Amino acid sequence: MVEKIEQKQKLGMNRRNFLKAGMAATAMGVIGAIKAPAKVANAATSNVNYSAGAKGQWSKLHPEHNYGGASVRFAENNDQWLGTSKLVGTVKNTNEADMGFNLARRGLISDRAHRGVFNFVPKHPQGGAISATLGLVASEAAVDGKPAPEKLPIPDPEQMSQHIRDLAYFLRADEVGIGQMPSYAYYSHKVNPTKNLTYQPVEECVYPVTQRYPYVIVVMVDQHLETMLGSTGYDGVSASQSMRSYHATANIAVIIAKYIRSLGYNARANHAGNYMAVMPPLILAAGLGELTRTGDCAAHPRLGFRLKVAAVTTDLPLLPNKPIDFGMLDFCRVCGKCAAECPSKAITHDKDPIEYNGYLRWNSDMKKCTEFRVSNEEGSSCGRCMKVCPWNSKEDSWFHEAGMWIGSRGQANSKLLKSIDDMFGYGTEHIEKYKWWLEWPELYKIPASIPAPAPTAPPAH
Amino acid sequence: MSTFLIFIAGVLFLGGIIFIKPRAKRELMWKTVLNWSLFVLWYAITWTGISFVYINASVGHVKATSTAIFLFLGISVVLAVVLARLLGFIGVKKASNAVQA
Repeated sequence: MVEKIEQKQKLGMNRRNFLKAGMAATAMGVIGAIKAPAKVANAATSNVNYSAGAKGQWSKLHPEHNYGGASVRFAENNDQWLGTSKLVGTVKNTNEADMGFNLARRGLISDRAHRGVFNFVPKHPQGGAISATLGLVASEAAVDGKPAPEKLPIPDPEQMSQHIRDLAYFLRADEVGIGQMPSYAYYSHKVNPTKNLTYQPVEECVYPVTQRYPYVIVVMVDQHLETMLGSTGYDGVSASQSMRSYHATANIAVIIAKYIRSLGYNARANHAGNYMAVMPPLILAAGLGELTRTGDCAAHPRLGFRLKVAAVTTDLPLLPNKPIDFGMLDFCRVCGKCAAECPSKAITHDKDPIEYNGYLRWNSDMKKCTEFRVSNEEGSSCGRCMKVCPWNSKEDSWFHEAGMWIGSRGQANSKLLKSIDDMFGYGTEHIEKYKWWLEWPELYKIPASIPAPAPTAPPAH
Repeated sequence: MSTFLIFIAGVLFLGGIIFIKPRAKRELMWKTVLNWSLFVLWYAITWTGISFVYINASVGHVKATSTAIFLFLGISVVLAVVLARLLGFIGVKKASNAVQA
């Protein structure tokens, strides 16, 4: 009898053990609930042998987007705002023939610009070599094409977005984002080829753009910090810095577009050799930056605007990022270093952005900027604004990250960061040990006259 | 090099604590707190400066390096003198000297 009672006590559960067991069961239930969505996603992607990344992460290779210490908030992409850019009217689609370099080709800026635009990149052999390589992936056949007739199985839009970001990083993009494509970012008319603008009426050189896809993938490549530290910003390497990033982003975009078409979806690469859309709004839409005082350049929180982008417009089902706000507008309001240092005085000193084509931006003088870049006889093109911007001119370090954090938190803090930047002499220095490129000043003269049109190539047999 | 500097910083922090511990404790609590607070502040500013100078010098920011030497290490020296005075390392006349005077 006594043995039976002891056995009952052993098998029985006192209140404390009952509570412990309850807590353990609850914890297991919570863990199971958390794990369940990943399992569901895994089930959805099992036919492509893809283990889903954690929900909400940026990508597998970069689980967190590297904003470089900046304090980043999320903004909206709707009919009133594109990120932190206020839309105040109808934003009209622009004609590619009216962009800066094309105005120069049409002779609408100045005689110097008209002559200079022909050789401002290839006059430095290095810039010429890189831009020629960019040309190899600029044909319509390279950037666009028909998708595969049958769609391959793919993961859900969130996982597919992670996968596309990973592909971009794998292809050596410094940053990548996915956005909802603003339809006003497409050109109204596209020029093809641009060199004809010099010799033929503009109407004969353009065709209307009708393509519209819902999403855009934007890839960024850095223009190389050390080179910028060693450069004046308008010497022989300036165009090479642009071309470095243009040709790298072009290759990445062309590959991604081709890949997406192979999956059975439409995709078109847009890069410096063949655009069908304007890039700054796409940077904003893809959550990669904000507009700056320069007007046309959008800055990333970590890279500033020391970058070039290319984009892939597509109907592949993706999950777009939200635009971001890291206080760039506040910073540009109080800084103005680019305007003070601009060799052509093209960048405005206005305190606030003003209306331009239905949205607010700092309205810098694009014609002055273009004229200086194409007719600069001290080098090839210009990127002085990029060199001096406090947001751009830094290596990765804890104190620059701290500086970015300060600079991204309102105008008072931005003033402090600007003062610190000036005190330490960042941006305006030329660090001789990084000057690795060669200079041929005798090649930097602009042509005395406009070259005759190249003869039409004989038909291939 | 940076790993080595971090290691040295940690060792010196502990060494500093052991070094000033006998002198930091005072009868008045606020004086003890002041001594330790000053030590931590001085230490943080000194190593912030060393790190800042090291990184800027290795990248080649000449003006940033020279400005940081004056700024951070200047503040560091001032704080070190104040702390040394509070801890009695400097500025305290020896008893024997006082008697002779």
